[in-house]
Amino acid sequence: MARHHALIPRLASFAALLAGALAAAPAGAQQAKSWQFGAVLDVAHTTRALELGGRDQGLQLGHSDLTASGPLGALATARLTAVFATHDGRLEKEIEEAWLETTRLPAGFVARAGRFASQIGYLNAQHPHADDFVERPLLYRAFFGGHWNDDGMRLNWTAPTPFFLQLGVEAFRGKRLVEETAESTGNPGIATVVAKFGGDIGASHSWLVGVSHIRNRREATTETFDGAHGHKHDHDHDHHHHHGAQFSGHKTWMIDATWKWAPGGNNRDQQVRAGFEAARITDLNRYATSRDRHEAQSIWAVWRFRPDWETGLRTDWLRVRIPHGDHFHSGRLRELSAMLAWKPNHMQSLRLQLTRQYDAVGFSRPASRSVQVQYVLAFGAHPAHPF
Amino acid sequence: MCWHSVHTRRIPSDGRHGRCARFLIWLALVVTTPAHALRIFACEPEWAALARVLVPHATLFVATHAGQDPHHIEARPALIAHLRLTDIAVCTGASLESGWLPALQERAGNPRARDVFFAADHVPLIDPQPGTIGTPWSGDVHPEGNPHLHADPRNLLLVVRALADRLARERPAEDAAIRARLGAFESRWQQRIAQWERRAAPLRGKRVAAQHATFGYLWRWLGIEQLADLEPRPGMPPTPGHLQRLLTVLRGTPPAAIVVSSYQDPRPGRWLAQQLGGTVPLLILPSTVGTEAAEAELADWFEGLLQTLLEASVR
Repeated sequence: MARHHALIPRLASFAALLAGALAAAPAGAQQAKSWQFGAVLDVAHTTRALELGGRDQGLQLGHSDLTASGPLGALATARLTAVFATHDGRLEKEIEEAWLETTRLPAGFVARAGRFASQIGYLNAQHPHADDFVERPLLYRAFFGGHWNDDGMRLNWTAPTPFFLQLGVEAFRGKRLVEETAESTGNPGIATVVAKFGGDIGASHSWLVGVSHIRNRREATTETFDGAHGHKHDHDHDHHHHHGAQFSGHKTWMIDATWKWAPGGNNRDQQVRAGFEAARITDLNRYATSRDRHEAQSIWAVWRFRPDWETGLRTDWLRVRIPHGDHFHSGRLRELSAMLAWKPNHMQSLRLQLTRQYDAVGFSRPASRSVQVQYVLAFGAHPAHPF
Repeated sequence: MCWHSVHTRRIPSDGRHGRCARFLIWLALVVTTPAHALRIFACEPEWAALARVLVPHATLFVATHAGQDPHHIEARPALIAHLRLTDIAVCTGASLESGWLPALQERAGNPRARDVFFAADHVPLIDPQPGTIGTPWSGDVHPEGNPHLHADPRNLLLVVRALADRLARERPAEDAAIRARLGAFESRWQQRIAQWERRAAPLRGKRVAAQHATFGYLWRWLGIEQLADLEPRPGMPPTPGHLQRLLTVLRGTPPAAIVVSSYQDPRPGRWLAQQLGGTVPLLILPSTVGTEAAEAELADWFEGLLQTLLEASVR
């Protein structure tokens, strides 16, 4: 923990230096014209809301955004993204991204400050409307509120090696990773450390492996919320939508592995992508023993079998310890999703997904069958897709 | 610990310290030493070939090949690693790489890879559509104009001159040598262009149906007219309905050939050719040069394109 104390002020002083450098940099008028603007509309219809799901039953506006990005002075780029979504029939608005990032640091370093999505795992940094499935894996929905973005700082280093190696540290305020704190300890914070490795095998295969560690100084509440563990719960009350993580703890380890194949590296006509992610959370709260841990895994595969058609399967496991005062109850959930998507170009996609939740213990509303139809439309410029 | 042996100036007697010291020296060399052969990251092989003409001893990395659609490249970890190590990146521009190059730059953390040499900045582009905003129904619109500018050999002269200026700035000590190689290439290339233009005279006025605007510059150079595009919208794969409409048009005015490029699915073009009764040949043309990064490849590519088109037109 002491190391985190030292890290945050160090990053803060770095950000102050960066801000000074930006103010001094010539903000050329000719650079302003390369700012780009875009919008994404994500509409979905769900026959039955999923347990821990991010989509309401019926018609819903999903993760839709307005985004602006471009150079800020000569030394940095910036992005601003406002997100709109409906939950329980109400329109919710949020500034999801507001960050600036260095472009001129030497020796492979890139620093970012502001509000942004953490780079833990494979999916978290990606905008949800770019996902291959209508809902994020159970792992993200249970442990990271679907898509974890927060106010903080990041420093990444890419190694000068013939294969890809990147190391990164982040420090966040941490207001999103616990649903509600047990007590407001002063100076809350979360630190992450991420390592990523990757490369090609021949002309057709490429891979990426990541290891992430999260230290959360905040303690989650010792009492559970609706959804999970409902044995003395009134289900008629107004369902409260969760943005924060449902299950948390002080220490999280994650691993992710992604593999992509395209014949001769030409992914336009055909591609197979597959991935695995796993997370383990320990040190849940003051009452937890070393045997109390949350675990989740996800395996997915997507096949682009024609330039404009993709199909995919994903299976998710979740095993949690649901806090209940000074003790825990076991919870578990399995989920299986199958999807078919039509993508006539990169500006629109229409997706049909069938999801089955089963083997539920401690979750009161698993969806034994749910059919979801999702339509995503993009206008203008949007960020290039990472691997 | 590594650092102790360095700071206390102990002679690294045992093997571990020796390895440590060697690692630190290697790291220092990698991070700081500029005295290496110029490293060039070329987004497409045609730019690698031009760079080779100007700096033959450079270390070249070619990110894509003629079998790949340059609009749709995965921002693969291997590409990030190569962009991290490069001294200069040479790309097409005009949004051709906008779906993947920014993702590579962000992760590479290499300030030298931020000042990309874009060929499109030095060539007047055809079909510009200023002010166009991409919508879900418009296809992949390039407001700047058609980015496939390398298919006109005259454009390569414009690009190689600008590239020589940039490389000379990068390596001032080699300024004179780069200029000399540029001069020699220009005269060789101008001769070739004159020769190709004489041979291609019979192609003038011919009509083709083609998939995408990949060879837009080639058609304009040779005076060939692209009657129809197999894509219903730029970048969108051919649909049965669109092909059916094309068939009606092409039956009225039969083209000299149906042209698709090496990275495209040949089936829609093959279907059209069959429906036209086998009288119209399907030509599958390589979209660019090989990845050996040599001047000969540039010449061979144009030579091959001309040869194929001439053979098809006399049938």
